[in-house]
Amino acid sequence: MTGKWQLKDHEAERQLFNRRLVVASVFVMTLFAALIFKIFNLQVVQYDYFSARSDGNRLHSQYVPPARGLIFDREGQLLADNQPIFNLSLIREQVDDLDAMLNYLSGLIGITADEIEQFKTRSRRNRVPFSSVPLRYVLSEADRSQIAVKSHRLSGIVIEPQFVRQYPLANLTAHSVGYVSEINREELDNMSETDRENYGGTNHIGKSGIERTYEEVLHGKVGYEIVEKNNRGKVMRVLDRTDPIAGKNIGLYLDARLQQAAEKALGDSRGAVVAIDPATGGILAMLSKPGFDPNLFVTGISSKDYRGLVQDKINTPLFDRTTNPYPPGSTVKPFLGLAGLELELVDYNFAIEDPGYFRLPGVSYRWGDYTLRTAIGGGHGHTDLQKAIFQSCDTFFYDLGNRMGIDAMHEFMALFGFGANFALDVGYARTGVLPSRDWKMATRGEPWYPGDTVNSSIGQGYMWATPLQLATAASIMANKGRVVQPRLLREIDGQPYNPVIENPIPDVVVKDPDFWRYIQEAMTMVVHRPFSTTAFRDYGTAYEAIAMADRGMPYKMAGKSGSAQVVGISQAVLKSDDIVVSDLNKDHGLFISFAPAMNSDIPPRIAVAVVVENGEHGSSVAGPIAKEIIDTYLLEILKLDFTPKTLSPSESLISQSND
Amino acid sequence: MINQDFIRQSSGLDSGKANSRSLWRFIHTDPPLLAGIMLLCGFGLLVLYSASNRDLAVVQRQALTMVVGLVVMFVIAQFNVHFFRSWAPTLYAACLGLLGVVLLIGVEANGARSWLDLPGLPSFQPSELMKFVVPLLMAWYLASRPLPPSFKHIFFSAIMILVPAALIIIQNDTGTAIMVAMSGIFVVLLAGISWRYVIGGFFALLLASPAWYLFLAQEHQKNRILTFFNPYRDPTGAGYNIIQSQIAIGSGGLYGKGYEQGAQSQLDFIPESNTDFILAVLGEEFGLLGVLFLIGLYLFVLARGGYIAFTAKDMFSRLLAGSITLTFFFYVFVNMAMVSGLLPVIGLPLPLISRGGTSIVTLFIGFGLLMSIHTHARSSVI
Repeated sequence: MTGKWQLKDHEAERQLFNRRLVVASVFVMTLFAALIFKIFNLQVVQYDYFSARSDGNRLHSQYVPPARGLIFDREGQLLADNQPIFNLSLIREQVDDLDAMLNYLSGLIGITADEIEQFKTRSRRNRVPFSSVPLRYVLSEADRSQIAVKSHRLSGIVIEPQFVRQYPLANLTAHSVGYVSEINREELDNMSETDRENYGGTNHIGKSGIERTYEEVLHGKVGYEIVEKNNRGKVMRVLDRTDPIAGKNIGLYLDARLQQAAEKALGDSRGAVVAIDPATGGILAMLSKPGFDPNLFVTGISSKDYRGLVQDKINTPLFDRTTNPYPPGSTVKPFLGLAGLELELVDYNFAIEDPGYFRLPGVSYRWGDYTLRTAIGGGHGHTDLQKAIFQSCDTFFYDLGNRMGIDAMHEFMALFGFGANFALDVGYARTGVLPSRDWKMATRGEPWYPGDTVNSSIGQGYMWATPLQLATAASIMANKGRVVQPRLLREIDGQPYNPVIENPIPDVVVKDPDFWRYIQEAMTMVVHRPFSTTAFRDYGTAYEAIAMADRGMPYKMAGKSGSAQVVGISQAVLKSDDIVVSDLNKDHGLFISFAPAMNSDIPPRIAVAVVVENGEHGSSVAGPIAKEIIDTYLLEILKLDFTPKTLSPSESLISQSND
Repeated sequence: MINQDFIRQSSGLDSGKANSRSLWRFIHTDPPLLAGIMLLCGFGLLVLYSASNRDLAVVQRQALTMVVGLVVMFVIAQFNVHFFRSWAPTLYAACLGLLGVVLLIGVEANGARSWLDLPGLPSFQPSELMKFVVPLLMAWYLASRPLPPSFKHIFFSAIMILVPAALIIIQNDTGTAIMVAMSGIFVVLLAGISWRYVIGGFFALLLASPAWYLFLAQEHQKNRILTFFNPYRDPTGAGYNIIQSQIAIGSGGLYGKGYEQGAQSQLDFIPESNTDFILAVLGEEFGLLGVLFLIGLYLFVLARGGYIAFTAKDMFSRLLAGSITLTFFFYVFVNMAMVSGLLPVIGLPLPLISRGGTSIVTLFIGFGLLMSIHTHARSSVI
């Protein structure tokens, strides 16, 4: 021990330690200098870069979708509303394992395979990075609380409030108002760059009907927001905002009560009703039955529901019957009669002795009179144009049509909108077929035969017209030739909408305006000419079903029935077991009408076309439906007063025959 | 020297300033060191309040820990450091024993099986105790040997350092093991070990590191090394912390974004913003000036520690004070370097600023020893 002590040189050791202390100090200062250099480099030299990175971290520019314009009916009832919902969305970039997450959500709130499929479709759309993609619309209260409780396990899952479309009348407006549904890939691809920007925050787009036609008006303009988000994507502050411009509210001519009446009047039948205000062309009712619930499409229809709608080959609920054509049948007769007068092929005194059939010269084939198929036989006897209309005498029109020829017929019928779409804002409506020599050569590669003209003169053969076209023609008839183009849109944001029509359809002008009265009178007789005890077959075809059924009818209504042969039934339908095929072979019943007719005080206020599929009889099945709609409109909605003031001569003529 | 001590002890005859100095001496407290520590604690609490998103409970718990630390420091300072010197071998043996016990019945927390949960005692980490027991033992061992130490003494020192370090590595707490080893190595360095050994050892480590990386390093350690060289190889995973903390510091600029205004910090982009990465919060909100202020405070404490080592009356005290001071520096530097991207991520807190428990008390034990060295009369036992 002592040896060691002697060896220790305290002063030398102290010197050694102090030198080491100096070295340590230099070491410390050097390392601190390096550290300061590094931090200076970060905070001063690279400040701009990191500052931008920090802003990029927290600042997010996001779209603010505009509120979609509402849709009202004629009287301000809501047809399309926006309803607040909560949806469950997923931010793809913040979910590590997508499949595991979806799996977990399936267990938690029962996300179905169907929803996952739809979600994946949505994910494939163009989208801004870190934007959310809806997984489930309309999250229930219970689901929301489940999500809240498990939120720590659900990074990248957000619950977002959102407005979605709601259609309070559901199937009543399914075809006319249409529906919105999710924007698909194709629609996005077809958009211009500006539009795509404008739809940046929007999930839905109008797919059919008004929603599609007026998409631009209803959608509005997207807004922007610069928000600060935390690292879980939660918005902490809104730093800057450009408000979206909401879509415009629009008012339609459509009347909810009339839609209701049409739906009720059609009962269990398949069919279509179109009603037009002849003064404005405003479409008052436009109903295709059966309909479907458009609300299903808004939040993504399940494939099961969709299959149900698509696979119903008989009722075809998705099929819009108002804008798809049927053979118009005898409903064309008033217009052909007018053509006969205009072309001087007939006059008020002209009459035929109807044997019950027609034969082309030199041809042995007899064109029978369809309207007499069930009668005892024989013809209508002495028949002038008015009788030919109210009795729906085919033979008369075979002869008239034959003498007129297809060219003149085509030219004249085109004035009433056959073969064309007169509607201003129902662009998707079909135009039907108004046959001509050229048309037949172009589509069939065959020349026009005289027999084709004979068929066409009773609205059969190649002739096809939509209920919308029939109602349009009826309203032109009601207007005595003044053409009003059908339209649905009545006002935008409370302002009446009167677009400038670029190529207006010319009015129908005839040589003698009295022709109109003459034909309207004949059409009024269809409904009001009673059975006669003396004259043979001298009553209106719809008298029994309409005027006789309601003797207290305060107004006169003009009409014309028709029945359309069912051309062919698809094999798919024929194979199905659960329907009576014979029913599907029955004729379609048609009826066109307008009211009030032959009234010197009140001009016609409504023109209606009704088609009842396989309804067999126009006059007895479709006629009363038209009457119910007219009743509703004139008596319940407009509440018109029909107390007679003075009796006009034309009215007295009908009243006399009524007695 | 003896005269100096004599004058200090007969302070009653001195001026008023000397009077107050003697009062501090009487309670064995060094005012400059205490002031530096208090300033660091205060600044730390301020930053922690913002980093924890104004969580007052967190700040209160931290303040309480600091008070406990101050009390421990004060108690330790009352003992003459030579009391600890005489107990150094016993303490070392006891701590080694505890490390052995931890291996058998240790409790795991945060991936390290380093906690001991003995009945009647609060749970603690024996490895933390080693942080000052190892330099204590090394100072005891080398102070009584001729300096610079001979190869034989260096060899035994290495064994005394490496045994506890190895035991701690087995507990899967590499960070603490490194700190424990460093606190011992600092003593050896200050004791005047020949530069040949230092340079030789440095190159030996350099050569051994690839072998360590290939055969010994665990997956997460390899990841940290790779991330250090390129944080963007996995920007949302391993590289996320360092990328976000660099963005925070860098975007703070010269003057910072303002207290509680750090977007990175307040919007939770910085993970572990209360603990290991709290410098990112400070850097973002107080800017380069804030960082320099903090470094200034640390430098002040370090300088005072150096001064205490320099003025210490015997080799044991010098070595111990020097080692404690350098270990403190090592903590500060490693944390700041890792958060700013100068070193790979090692899980070490920023002393007196990061939220912590045992580690803070350990720091105060060190400060207590420094104060004891500086305020007690020369021991009769040299």
